[in-house]
Order: sequence, then structure tokens, then C-alpha cells
Amino acid sequence: MTGLALSNVEVVYDKVFLAIKGVSLEVGEGEMVALLGSNGAGKSTTLKAISGLLGPERGEITRGEIRFGDTDLRPLGAPARVDRGLVHVLEGRRVFGHLTPDENLVAAYRGGKAERSFEELRDEVYRYFPRLKERARSKAGYLSGGEQQMLAIGRALVTEPKLIMLDEPSLGLAPVLVAEIFAIIREINQKHGLTVLLVEQNAAATLEIVNRAYLIENGQIVMSGEAETLKRNPDVQEFYLGSGGKVDYHAIKHYRRRKRWLA
Amino acid sequence: MAYFIELLVNGALVGLMYALAALGFVLIYKSAGVPNLAQGALVMMAAYLVWYLGSLGLPIWIAIAVGAALMFGFGLLVERLLLRRMVGQPVIMVVMLTLGMEILLRGLIPGVFGAAPKPLDLGIGLAPVIVADVFMNRAYLIGGLVAVLLIAASMLFFRTRLGTKLRAVSDDHVASWAVGLSVERAIGLSWGIAGIAAVGAGVLWGSVQGVDWTLSTLLFPAIAVVILGGVDSIKGVLVGGLAVGILGSVIPGYLDAMVGGSTRDVVTSVIILLTILVRPHGIFGREDIERI
Repeated sequence: MTGLALSNVEVVYDKVFLAIKGVSLEVGEGEMVALLGSNGAGKSTTLKAISGLLGPERGEITRGEIRFGDTDLRPLGAPARVDRGLVHVLEGRRVFGHLTPDENLVAAYRGGKAERSFEELRDEVYRYFPRLKERARSKAGYLSGGEQQMLAIGRALVTEPKLIMLDEPSLGLAPVLVAEIFAIIREINQKHGLTVLLVEQNAAATLEIVNRAYLIENGQIVMSGEAETLKRNPDVQEFYLGSGGKVDYHAIKHYRRRKRWLA
Repeated sequence: MAYFIELLVNGALVGLMYALAALGFVLIYKSAGVPNLAQGALVMMAAYLVWYLGSLGLPIWIAIAVGAALMFGFGLLVERLLLRRMVGQPVIMVVMLTLGMEILLRGLIPGVFGAAPKPLDLGIGLAPVIVADVFMNRAYLIGGLVAVLLIAASMLFFRTRLGTKLRAVSDDHVASWAVGLSVERAIGLSWGIAGIAAVGAGVLWGSVQGVDWTLSTLLFPAIAVVILGGVDSIKGVLVGGLAVGILGSVIPGYLDAMVGGSTRDVVTSVIILLTILVRPHGIFGREDIERI
């Protein structure tokens, strides 16, 4: 089995708060998979469990297995996971604000462990995101939200990943920028066979570009399937895509409003 | 006039040596993002170490080199044993931790090596250097030169790839982990480098005033230097050091005679106070960038 596999992962914050309750999911090599869900559903926690970033938030994996290819990820620290080819683009972009875009890329370059030279990787990033090159001399903290998101993705690409995890890249961005960034992610996925795990609230835009998706709610996966299948699912349409048409809310019976998969 | 110039020049040289003590603070802040209130004790510890190695019969230059290696190791050890537990904790925890370390070392090191002042002879000699009727303290002159060299080296260091990575770590720990930077190693490295800077400051100050616990009180002018210059700016250390040194030499030079002495610490305190009131991030310190 290549790719990423989570089985029955449970994460507890501060030793008391159970954030995800037995999440299992698979991302095959070269696939583009989305993890959809509303606020507080456990999307970011799932990603942090995979990338090993729970520690600073006093979170802990209490059960389950996370494998990437043949390696068990649980004993590895975050930098060791990046070395295995797993990279996480954090929610809210988190660029190094006091460094220039160039320096942001330098910081992520793995030096002796890298296969390609820094210049080569940097030029590739600038080819995908030409805007960044124009802003190469200003501090990253002063870039616009979209440019920062591009930089965060570019910075992740410099680590030469096999799998990239994106946590809400559309957050706070204009729809036209979301479309641009999603198109670039899709291009990288198709041209370079980079596996993508995309976490989003923006289900409509996401289901257009991914192969498969998981739906997470209250720390549990409640639905999964091909993007096309999910798009046709009436519950997904109603609660995520908002395409139920004009609904007379007085006419629907109360129980219809409840999500079927949790009943 | 000659008196004024003498105060000015010697103040500037002392200021550069303050800058040397402050350099360790800035190095750690710039690369790990934590304030290091134990820098005074590190300086003292480095001086004691070099003195001890010298008293074992090692030539002074070898003692300094070995001392630098040991202090580097000590910096790594501090990260491994203490700071690694502070991950994810609020910054006040680190402040308290380093302050506690300062107090502990202040008591422990003189306790182990002896509290009486120890001479540390660098072979500089005591005769003042006289340039155009201005008397300059020879040790301060060499100290100032060493300070400028070390500060320049630090500036260059932060332009290298490794230095850029350390700056990235100080910006955002979680984002650094996410792109594969080992925050732990970066913090350890910065403490190690600060240990080496402490050797520079400890040896030079130790040769001027003898090695005893009072070396750790350099923390106070060093804090004034970094607050004035900006806690994360190497350039700020240089400028802040010069300013604190000159003001701390010229003003007491005239005021001491009137009020009966010891105005230097007052000047230093006023510098800290005014900087925080007028320009809290210092002359060259970075402002936190916040997008609205």
C-alpha cells in the first residue's frame, strides 16, 4: 500500500477533550482527495495528527494508526515526516511574515537532503505563482491574502513533497483567487503526480476538482465517495452545496432538516 | 573639551562591550523568539570557565577556545533539558525560566569556583592608548574591536541559509515544524551561539574588572541595549550599545561630581523607561506585522 492511510485515529486535547473519534481514511498515490466539514468538525485536527503538529497544542493521538507508504508515522516528529515527503500547508497561511518570499522558500529548503537544487525549486514555484516573483523583495507579512496563500503553498513545494495537505486554502480569499489557486493545485496534482489532501469548508468549489471526498462531522467520518456521487447526494446538496433550490422552510417537516447520516 | 572627547570615546568603547554582552540576548531572540534573561549569568559562567581552564595551566587562547566549545555545549544542554519542555507554553514561562536560571547560576557558579575576584590576564597590558591627547583604555579598545567583529559576523550569519532558517523559526514555530524545520535544534543552536558570544563578553569584561559574580550584573546594561536597539536587531545592538555606553559615560562624567556619584545606573534606567514609552520596539526592532 502506498499513499496515506489512517485507521481509527482518535485525538485528545489536554487529556480531556476528544476531538476526533476514530477517523479512518485513505489517500492513494497521485490522488486528490478532500476532507469536508463544518467548523469544529475535526478537519484541522485530522491534518495535524498526520503532520505531527498536535504537540504544541497539547493534543495527543490516543488510538489508531497512521501509515504513509510502509512507514508508521506515529513515532516520528514533524520534521521527520516532512523528510518522508509529507507536507502540511497550515490554515491561515502562516507565512514567515518578517522574511521576504525568497527567504520563506529558503527556510523550507531541505539543504543536503534535497534532491534538486534550491534555484531549480524556487524557479518552479515562481513559474506556478508568477505574482510572488514580483513581490520577491517585500516582507511576506505585507503580501495580500492570496499572495500569502500562494507563498504558503510554494514554500511547501520547496520541501519536495509526495503528499501535500492543504488546510482551507480558500479561507478569506475572493472567489476569483480561489479558482486560480485551485486550478494551480489541480495542475500540480496532474502534471507531477503530487498527492493532495484538501481540507475545505467550501464544498462546492472543492468537489469540482477532487477525485474523492470524505465528510467529517463531530469528529467522525460520516460519508465518503467519489466527488460526482457526493455532489448528487441530496444531503450534501442541501447542507454543503446550498443548491436545494428555493425551499419553503415552513413546508418541510422538522425531521427533514436533520442530517440523515447522523440519525 | 578633551575631557568630553575622552568620556565620549571611552563611553563608546564600553558601549561596544555592552553590545557584546547584549549580543547573546538578541541572537536567541532573533532565532528562537524567546527572551533570555540568563545572559548575564552566561557571561559570568563563561568568564569563570575560561579562568578555571587557564588556572589548570592551559594557555589563555586555548582556554578561550575550549571555553567557547563548552559554552556552546551548555547552550545545547539548556535547550534539551529545560526549554524543550516549554514548547506550546506562553512566553512568560520562558521569561520566568531564564530568570530562574540567572539567579541559580549567579549563586551556583561562584559557589563552585570561589567568590573572590579572580584575575584574568589576556596579555593586553594596562598602559592606556593615547591618540591626540585622548586617553583610551587599552582593554576597552580591544574589547570594542572584538565586539564589532562579532557583531559583523552575526549579521553575516543571519544572511546565510542556516541564519534564514533560524529567523523563520523565530517567526512561527508551528509553521516551521510544518515545513520540516526542527524548532528544537534551532533553539538549541541559538543558545549555543549565544554561549559563544557570552565567552567573548565574559573574557573581555573579566580581564577588565576581574572574574566574580558581578559580571552577571552586565545583564542590566545589556537589557537597556537590546530595548533601545530593538530586541531582534543585530544592528540595534551596535547602535544601542554605543548609545547606552556614551550616555552612560558622558552624563555621569559631569553629573557625578554634582550629586556624589553612581548616576550611571540611573542613566541606564532612564534609557529603558524612555524607550518603552516612546518607541516600545526599539530603534531597529521589528514591529509585528498585522494585516487588517
